[in-house]
Amino acid sequence: MNKQNFGYTILFTAVVSFVFVLALAVVNEVTADQIQFNREVRLVRSVLDAMGVEFEDDEHARELFNDVQQVEQNGLSLYRFARNEEVLYAKQYSGAGLWGPIRGHLGIRADGERTLGLTILEHDETPGLGGRIDEPWFQEQFRNKRLVDGRIRMGSRDGQGDFVEDSGEFDGITGATSTSQAMERIINNHLEEITRALGGAS
Amino acid sequence: MSSAPAPGAMLRDNLWTNNPIFMQILGICSALAVTNLLTNTMIMTIAVVGVMGMTNLTVSLIKSLIPRKVRMMVQTLIIASYVIVVDIILRAYLPDISRALGPYVGLIITNCIIMGRAEAFAQQNPPLLSVWDGVTSAFGYMGVLLAIALIRELLGFGSLFGYQVMPEIFEPWIIMVMPPSAFFVLGIVIWIGKAIMEREGAPA
Repeated sequence: MNKQNFGYTILFTAVVSFVFVLALAVVNEVTADQIQFNREVRLVRSVLDAMGVEFEDDEHARELFNDVQQVEQNGLSLYRFARNEEVLYAKQYSGAGLWGPIRGHLGIRADGERTLGLTILEHDETPGLGGRIDEPWFQEQFRNKRLVDGRIRMGSRDGQGDFVEDSGEFDGITGATSTSQAMERIINNHLEEITRALGGAS
Repeated sequence: MSSAPAPGAMLRDNLWTNNPIFMQILGICSALAVTNLLTNTMIMTIAVVGVMGMTNLTVSLIKSLIPRKVRMMVQTLIIASYVIVVDIILRAYLPDISRALGPYVGLIITNCIIMGRAEAFAQQNPPLLSVWDGVTSAFGYMGVLLAIALIRELLGFGSLFGYQVMPEIFEPWIIMVMPPSAFFVLGIVIWIGKAIMEREGAPA
């Protein structure tokens, strides 16, 4: 058979495409559950982290997450976790960073006086500068931080982090002022929404 | 092809005298994009080694069946399939690294070295030799990228593979983290490479 003729070319292209697409479909199918699982675990860990709930491993986190409810509070969708005598809330937030959207979870106490924690799931900030928002020290600053006038302000300390729980401030990242300001704006917008929604309930 | 090239000579050629990056200046897009952290560079270049070996093997195996007119389209299809497989595997089993590499895994498809070797070598040579060519070319690529990443991570973050190695007082060079620094470092690496070659007496 002449391998350069039109019919053979069409047939060959069709067969090759079919074989490779089939192979990809199989690989995709085989790993779909694992990928879905990874996505869930990541979400679960982020919500619990934002609430300041400690867990040992992925399994433990999923177990704890079974007790987390998704509630509608005055039209705002929140995660609610009642533990011992405390009620913890977390909200999925998103907002504009310097280069792209920043997404994650923000945890807050039921009385709205302190945050519980902050996580960052996604961002497109400059690696090594604004991208440092995904370093633990940056996020740890939002652990049990007292809100002053319902807000957390960006302070300017030494760029090493502000871990004083009552300061009502967090330390921005040196050399990444725009990203730090974006974080301040995003966090406060969402804090306001959450406290309004929680306040309306009582 | 009158006579098959010797594997030893191919190794030296692909790693050094005809290195894809600093002799052929191919694949520099990824050399610029993913070289600010050694770990990411390592994973990405291992992926390239796998994709190149498999692509060259596949192209070589079916070379006599491929109609000339659709040759490059078929090569692209083969490369894209293997890259997507790598992407899926990373997403399933190494999710953190998959996130760190982001879109760059998908961009392996456009890495000119892979198609270059498929077209220039695998189309004319037997399967095993083609795998060898693909793998050694990818190692040549890996070597240069790791060298660039070593310099960039050390000066930009003060760390190597994520471990802090520079003393506390070291002030990281922010430029090294940003893409433009890869241009400078790549230029310097090419300069050093060619200078050594010239000293060896090879035609640089």
